[in-house]
Amino acid sequence: MSAQLAPEDVLTDEGYAVVATAEDLHVTFRRNGKAIHALRGISLEIRRGEILGLVGESGSGKSVLGLTLLGLHGAGATISGRATVRGRDMVSATDAERREVRIAHLGAVFQDPMTSLNPTMRVGRQVAEAAGSDEEALRLLRLVGVPEAESRMSAFPHELSGGLRQRVMIAMAVAGNPDLVIADEPTTALDVTVQAQVLRLLRTLRDELGCSVLMITHDLGVAAQIADRVAVMYAGRLAELGESDAVLRNSAHPYTLGLMRSRLTLGVDRSRALPALAGEVPSPAAPQPGCAFSPRCSVAGPDCVETSPEPVEVEPGHHSACLRPLAVVRRTDTMGPAVLTARAEPARIDQDTAALSLRSVVKTFGVGKGFGRKRTLHALRGVSLQIAQGESVALVGESGSGKSTLLRVAAGLEAADSGEVELSGGSRPQMVFQDSGASLTPWMTVEQILGERVRDLGRAARAAKVREALSLVGLPAEVGAARATQLSGGQRQRVCLARATIVPPPVLLCDEPTSALDVSLAASVINLIARLRRELGMSVLFVTHDLSVARVVADRIAVMYLGQIVEIGASDRVTSAPLHPYTRSLVSAVPDVGLTPVILPGEPASPLNPPSGCAFHPRCADATESCRDTELGLRLQRVANDDVDRVACINIDLSHVPTPVYITPKGA
Amino acid sequence: MAVAEPFVAPRPAWRRPVSLDLRAPRTWSIIGASLFAVMTLIALAAPLLSPHDPLVPVGIPLAGPGHGGFLLGSDSIGRDVLSRCLYGMRASWFAALVVIAGGFLIGGLVGLVAGSSGGWIDNLLMRITDGFLALPAPVLAIAVVASLGPSFTHTLIAVSVVWWPFYARIVRGEISKLAARPHVEAARLAGAGRVRIAVRHLLPGALPAAVVTASLDVGNLVLALAGLSFLGLGQSAPAPELGADSARNLSLLLQQWWVPVVPGIAVAVLAVIANVAGDSVRNLIDPA
Repeated sequence: MSAQLAPEDVLTDEGYAVVATAEDLHVTFRRNGKAIHALRGISLEIRRGEILGLVGESGSGKSVLGLTLLGLHGAGATISGRATVRGRDMVSATDAERREVRIAHLGAVFQDPMTSLNPTMRVGRQVAEAAGSDEEALRLLRLVGVPEAESRMSAFPHELSGGLRQRVMIAMAVAGNPDLVIADEPTTALDVTVQAQVLRLLRTLRDELGCSVLMITHDLGVAAQIADRVAVMYAGRLAELGESDAVLRNSAHPYTLGLMRSRLTLGVDRSRALPALAGEVPSPAAPQPGCAFSPRCSVAGPDCVETSPEPVEVEPGHHSACLRPLAVVRRTDTMGPAVLTARAEPARIDQDTAALSLRSVVKTFGVGKGFGRKRTLHALRGVSLQIAQGESVALVGESGSGKSTLLRVAAGLEAADSGEVELSGGSRPQMVFQDSGASLTPWMTVEQILGERVRDLGRAARAAKVREALSLVGLPAEVGAARATQLSGGQRQRVCLARATIVPPPVLLCDEPTSALDVSLAASVINLIARLRRELGMSVLFVTHDLSVARVVADRIAVMYLGQIVEIGASDRVTSAPLHPYTRSLVSAVPDVGLTPVILPGEPASPLNPPSGCAFHPRCADATESCRDTELGLRLQRVANDDVDRVACINIDLSHVPTPVYITPKGA
Repeated sequence: MAVAEPFVAPRPAWRRPVSLDLRAPRTWSIIGASLFAVMTLIALAAPLLSPHDPLVPVGIPLAGPGHGGFLLGSDSIGRDVLSRCLYGMRASWFAALVVIAGGFLIGGLVGLVAGSSGGWIDNLLMRITDGFLALPAPVLAIAVVASLGPSFTHTLIAVSVVWWPFYARIVRGEISKLAARPHVEAARLAGAGRVRIAVRHLLPGALPAAVVTASLDVGNLVLALAGLSFLGLGQSAPAPELGADSARNLSLLLQQWWVPVVPGIAVAVLAVIANVAGDSVRNLIDPA
């Protein structure tokens, strides 16, 4: 698909149009004795000055493409095809040539700046190493918006916040005016508000420096916000490529369509089960012949299994690798008719009975820093929350907000310093963890792990109970004999849910259970949690950093900032008509197709040293002198005397609740 | 109800069939690890393999290797050096295994309790362990023998006292790493008690590291025990013992070299076999 370019276009310094290309690139490497087919024939080009979003789920090969362009694919990989940067092939080049190209033309930003920065070197020296001089390093740090750049030059990476570390990485990447910056999930480890800042920064830098950016991400919303063109990868091949708007709003490939429909946004219809793609991403160790997406595709036929489609131009500048005509793909409902019509019955909520009540819970941790220098981390600073029988409440907040600590206090894994935790019926809540693999004992079989909750039963009764629990979460009985390492990510999370519900608990606590899962799997796990909650009559307390997930899973959303709930209310109201300035900025920072985020300055304050008065005032645009007052004693206030909506802000008119905007999906 | 997807569990590495492919590193590891069994068999069969009684003079003294019916010669009073070596290896091998087993059990228990309890119990147990680690083995052995009288058992006690802390440290390290994983909290929420968590959810994860250490340790221990026996802290006089046999006959080194050298070579052979076997066990358990 690479455009027909005369060689001089590529090679001359001024007039080039294409910065980098991949031409029928295959990359295979070995892991644990198995051949991993990471890239299976991919061709694309990165144009001068453009931001190309490279989108794919785990195992799609998107990071391998980035590394191959950087010439960092490692000696063990078998590569065919070409990966050129400014006309130089990084596959056939010698190590010295690759290094030359990297120095002259490339910059890189990786996901975790803590591991990609040298922890023993001051950041000023690290940037100067890439930039050539201290003056240039300082200029770059100012360029990427590091506040008080002079003093930060002498800081070590661990002394900076995550957002600042990523800015330092970006400063190093743009040192020496590269032609192409390869950014591999640069915002995945950051909080939403900081993510919006970093995305804006990358765009500004592109405009100012004129470099191209290859933005590798799993998040379609991130790609939508920053990219000029988007390439969607699936199982090591290109599925779709075109202008961002065309690919994301007018998708041509069944996979992209499926991703867009199963993607959670603030506009998803909450009354139905979420549309979820069936099945899982195929293993790159055993690629099937034909179109890799065909087993999950509703328009696939026998011919799809035989031929592997090449991307063809379906509309001007819009390529899709699908055998079916565009009209057929767009007309067909890729989710299958059953999913979209299934209307979920609302759960029965008994407002008069509290399943879980927390009253003025305070929790601090001592943070040791050498001898005698203990500091106090204020994780929870007086939190009260009631969850009714059968109700689902989401806790939303950025890192350091105390949402996970609150969940652990509710679970009884941490004891509160003061305050009360009351559970109805006295039986223990169960919890589902973010890292499902690590929460299953690796050497025990699924049957042994599940059986642990029903130890008082006899052997046969226990086995029957385990089978029943597995089938309730949609897993076959054979999974009982497997260990966690033999299961896929989605299966592990289902096993964790089976363990939690084998004896239905009054309250199910969920700690970001979907944030480690791929887009297409997250929706099915959320559906499963909703179904279990309905069928077993459980209350759910769901911790997430993602407002669009919170809106779908919860009846009410509680927004936390620095150990306190700053706003709580019906989830439609909180996400569509937020009251608190912090909630407003959270809502506007959710990246989505066709939305421009409002950027909140600064980063979450440290729970080691919460600001006086309202903890949010240093970042708040509406803050007044009285917000700073140490005697403020801020507490949640009822809005318009209604029992659902409460907010902790002194600058808000409490006389009426803003009308929620109920978002109805297209075509419903 | 969701439709169950077909599921076939892949076979874990340790359940793969043993192949006899000599090019596969795994095959060599299995052969290496079986040296432990081979050596134990030789030790058990020492009475059958020895041509003579190791304690009784059976021929001319100081006969050279191959002379007078002695494959490896005879010592100063006409006892068979080969037989004495075989019996000596048997004693060393079993002594090493006993000390390892003791260290493994005591150290493992201390490490498990310390690692799974945490807090002050952990601190107390580990400081005690550090105290024992600080004791020098030969000095302690001399002290024990001096106070309890010379005896092989006393030497073993002395060595065991300084040996178990290594295992306590390793097991505790592994356990406290595992204890930070969410699977332990999940087990707590599932209603498992302290003992059950320690035994079912922590201990199996610490065993591989401890087994690897133990198998690499056999060689060290053979050498340490031979050293103590060389210093006269082993079994008393007529008993065949490699270190002591070497030490007692050191004056013959320049004339009848085989008398002191052959037991020394036997120690070296034993230590090399133990190290090869230990390395193989490590490669099998922890291939990274």
